[in-house]
Amino acid sequence: MFVSAGSEALDGMKARESAFDFEAIFRAQYGRVARVIARVVRDPARAEELAVEVFLKLWRSPAAQIDHAEAWLYRVAVRKALDELRRRTRRARYESLVGFVRRNPTPEELHSAGEQQEKIRLVLAVIGARHSELLLLRSQGLTYEELAVALNLKAVSVGTLLARAQQAFRKEYVSRYGTRYDKE
Amino acid sequence: MAPDMTKNSDGKNDATNGGRWVDDQLATLAPSGEWQPNVARGFARFNERRSAQKWRGRKWIFAVAALAAACIIALALPQYREGVQRLWRDSDFKSVDIGQVSADVKALKDGQAAPDFTLQDSTGADVRLSAYKGKVVLLNFWATWCGGCQVEIPWLMGFQKKYKDRGFVVIGISMDDDGWKSVRPYLAEKKLNYPVVIGTEKVSKPYGLDSMPMTYLIDREGKVAATSVGIVNKDACEHQIVELLGPPHSDQSQFRMN
Repeated sequence: MFVSAGSEALDGMKARESAFDFEAIFRAQYGRVARVIARVVRDPARAEELAVEVFLKLWRSPAAQIDHAEAWLYRVAVRKALDELRRRTRRARYESLVGFVRRNPTPEELHSAGEQQEKIRLVLAVIGARHSELLLLRSQGLTYEELAVALNLKAVSVGTLLARAQQAFRKEYVSRYGTRYDKE
Repeated sequence: MAPDMTKNSDGKNDATNGGRWVDDQLATLAPSGEWQPNVARGFARFNERRSAQKWRGRKWIFAVAALAAACIIALALPQYREGVQRLWRDSDFKSVDIGQVSADVKALKDGQAAPDFTLQDSTGADVRLSAYKGKVVLLNFWATWCGGCQVEIPWLMGFQKKYKDRGFVVIGISMDDDGWKSVRPYLAEKKLNYPVVIGTEKVSKPYGLDSMPMTYLIDREGKVAATSVGIVNKDACEHQIVELLGPPHSDQSQFRMN
């Protein structure tokens, strides 16, 4: 569903190549970009701020506006989100080291559905950026071809790289949370 | 449907079972609650940030454009062009000053009238500074025991030889305590080709003499044009002398007039 909608937008955009309608692309893509970010960055308000930054970057990159703007947007969105995630993880680690400003999760938070999501986010923050990007974009519904375009990869190597990313994710997950995990 | 993790160590199952498990995990990532991105608010925020950036960018462009326009106007109008050229010359002169003057030395400032004096040369004849008005004068405070002075005296002799016909003169003011007793043999030995007098404190004080050598370049109007404490910068000094002398033909007429 998502992919087909994306392709339509992409086709429409190609038709408008000569006169790039920035507002149209903003209105068409902003919601998706914000949601992509919000999957990684839990705070929706922050996700929207980052989405605006993604579009500012698009606005400043005329080349990106013409060639594969959508793939470009997703890649930048995922990178921004992961940067934010890593920044938060680093800060959390620092705070836990420093100790006195540590914020313990409330029991409610611990037992909410969000707990599993937080585990996944933490794993995404600590495995290699290339792995996380690939996994997130794939999970966003991008095809191998679209992944190759978005991440500037050879189409033939996408499968291998994806398998490696999945393995890295699983290894990290297992080493952190063990082979048994409660969320099924 | 937890995958058996031990099976996945060979990596082959990664893209199948394990891969699907990872996909499933990532699929659980979802924005919290009923949240919907607000496109209108996002676009407003985007425009706000963009216009802020655009304005910042333009401010620079305006500043650069204004500066460029000012330069063009300054160079287009003849009277301004002359001013700019003079400024340029002045700055050039400043950068190749004939020597160093440290701030704590109370030397005369450029443009000040050089205080007049009358002193005697080795023959007993009066040497009066004001008598040289109309010439460019290099006033050199020196002493026979002063090492730096020995370095520059041959240069000064060179200047004297080269430019005397164009209205230039070097006057050496020796500050030796024993006066002619030391200076006369020195002159005989070195064959100085310019007038040398024995200085007094009365003469040296208005010139702010503090250490030697000290050199003043005085223009045709009798005003200080350049100062150097310590050994002069030979090339800069010569350059300055030539500047002060002006074109050869015009200063010849001026010289004759005086």
